[in-house]
Amino acid sequence: MKTKTTQTILSAAAAAALVFTATAHAVEKLNIYCWSEYIPQDVIDDFAKETGIKVSVENYASNEEMLAKLGAGGGSFDIIQPSEYVVEALVNEKLLRPLDKKAIPNLKNIDSKFLNMSFDPGNKYSVPFMAGTVGIVVNTDLVKEDIKSFSDVFKPANKGKIVALDDAREIISWALLSKGIPVNDVSDKNLEKAKGVLSDWIPLIKVYDSDSPKTALLNGDVAIGVVWGGEGAILLNENKKFRWVIPAEGTHLFIDSLAIPKTAKNFANAEKFMNYILQPEVSKKISEAFPYLNPNMEAVKLLTEEQRNNSASFPTAKEISKMETFKDIGERGSVIEEIVTSLKVE
Amino acid sequence: MALPAAVSNTGGSDMHRRKPGLLAWLILLPLVAWLLLFVVAPTIMLIVVSFAERDALGRIVYEFNLQNYARAFDWVWLKVMLLSIWYALLTTILCMALGYPVAYFIGRAPERWRTTLLLLVMVPFWTSFLIRTYAWITILSNDGLLNALLVGSGILTEPLALLYTPFAIVLGLVYNFLPFMILPIYTSVEKLDNALIEAAYDLGAGPVRAFSQVIIPLTRPGIAAGAMLVFIPSIAMFAITTLMGGGSNPTIGEVIFKQFTSGRNQPFGAALGTILLVIFLLALWLTNRQREERN
Repeated sequence: MKTKTTQTILSAAAAAALVFTATAHAVEKLNIYCWSEYIPQDVIDDFAKETGIKVSVENYASNEEMLAKLGAGGGSFDIIQPSEYVVEALVNEKLLRPLDKKAIPNLKNIDSKFLNMSFDPGNKYSVPFMAGTVGIVVNTDLVKEDIKSFSDVFKPANKGKIVALDDAREIISWALLSKGIPVNDVSDKNLEKAKGVLSDWIPLIKVYDSDSPKTALLNGDVAIGVVWGGEGAILLNENKKFRWVIPAEGTHLFIDSLAIPKTAKNFANAEKFMNYILQPEVSKKISEAFPYLNPNMEAVKLLTEEQRNNSASFPTAKEISKMETFKDIGERGSVIEEIVTSLKVE
Repeated sequence: MALPAAVSNTGGSDMHRRKPGLLAWLILLPLVAWLLLFVVAPTIMLIVVSFAERDALGRIVYEFNLQNYARAFDWVWLKVMLLSIWYALLTTILCMALGYPVAYFIGRAPERWRTTLLLLVMVPFWTSFLIRTYAWITILSNDGLLNALLVGSGILTEPLALLYTPFAIVLGLVYNFLPFMILPIYTSVEKLDNALIEAAYDLGAGPVRAFSQVIIPLTRPGIAAGAMLVFIPSIAMFAITTLMGGGSNPTIGEVIFKQFTSGRNQPFGAALGTILLVIFLLALWLTNRQREERN
């Protein structure tokens, strides 16, 4: 929230400044609409300096937020950063522009495991940016029990000690997994079961934060978090008291990509940007700031032993085999949002 | 935000009203354009969208229906609305209790001091409210300044859970909106005629009676204006409540914000927003009517 809101204010100021400069002479521009806490500012600055392209950045905290803005026709973005199931939805709705692969030769640096996935066969529309998992962070100073699973986290004893991602699709998926239901099976019957689980779980959660869930953990306001892997990795680096746990029930493996909306005006610059950040040195910088599961194998080679061994950044092959990616579920998305919101209120 | 009518309306006799000339309209033009562009047009958009539908990606589909309103009157959302009104009411009452003595003190202080004192009230506004809210997070968190002080000095053995509670929400609201209460009350207090208070004492009123029957009624316009200025934005505020409440006690502002963003349901958010708008108008109408009755 912090970064997002301040960024919004800053970008509004930048937009105002643009009105004055744009009239003077046409500048090459690139409008990035990306997750908060995901692309380091110095990477963007370096790109701007190297290419002379004027870059403006806006942030979002959830895929749905981005879709809402994109759908409403708000802003004119040249590059977005959707997760796997959103790429699928956007491809189905024909809202993405096919990529000119010749402009992105650095795509060769991406591990083939992350290419040609079912949400975008042949990577016609998207380039992998980062992958990662959702997992559990435990402050072992405050929690002595051995936590292995979502069910261990959401126990009455932990009431008021939990931070969770403020993301309805994620929260529902944890409940589904705890019942042994695959995360994409969102039939009414399964959602009813998930709702039953969540009516016990949601009252235990103290803070919802998708932008920077590490903050509440670092400040000691909560002791357990269900957070993005990259956030977990930062906490592990910060203090040895934090432990990272991949939930026994399985979890979400997300793959966030870069894509170009059909309405983009500066698509060539967007491709330039994609190619730029796929360079091993640049991708390494991103990994250092936001230590997610980097699909860029050349960049991973440049990381230190310690960074590569961070269990929150890089899960083992065995752990990955138990994870699921999200599929587009269309209008069911708002059903899920309603279930979670109404449970929060009750 | 435009000031509600109550603020400017201390005298307002209808007898001297004249039709404004062409020049007056020209001078008013920027204001009228502003109101049309940023108040009237968005309100119309909001109302139109509130009767629309949306597709799977959250795009608005303009097909007339009432289901958003039908849904808005579900108990779940009414509860959120009532909770928000409760927080706003509490904020208004606390602001009044804290702000009145301050405003009174400033208004009665020697004239050469008043500007300085008023300036002190406004100084915090030179910093963005986000930064001030983050400062509160640093103060209130478990490992924060306040708890460190309380535990370190031996007053408490365990840190108090202050942040991410309803207490933190109301504290954040009171802190941010207090000056909106102080300033209008100050303007009323400043105009207070000393002779009337002295007369009250001369006629045998004690301090309590003079305060409740003379001072309070005379400063009522300021109190009413302050109450509106605090109450209305407190209901809809979402940034402070999310940051300091942690999102586990969602207010109506947060719920509307979520419908426009992660909920992918702008029409429903618009319906909730329209209902809120109607509540505000009702509140304004009620205060105006009360004032007219008194006059």
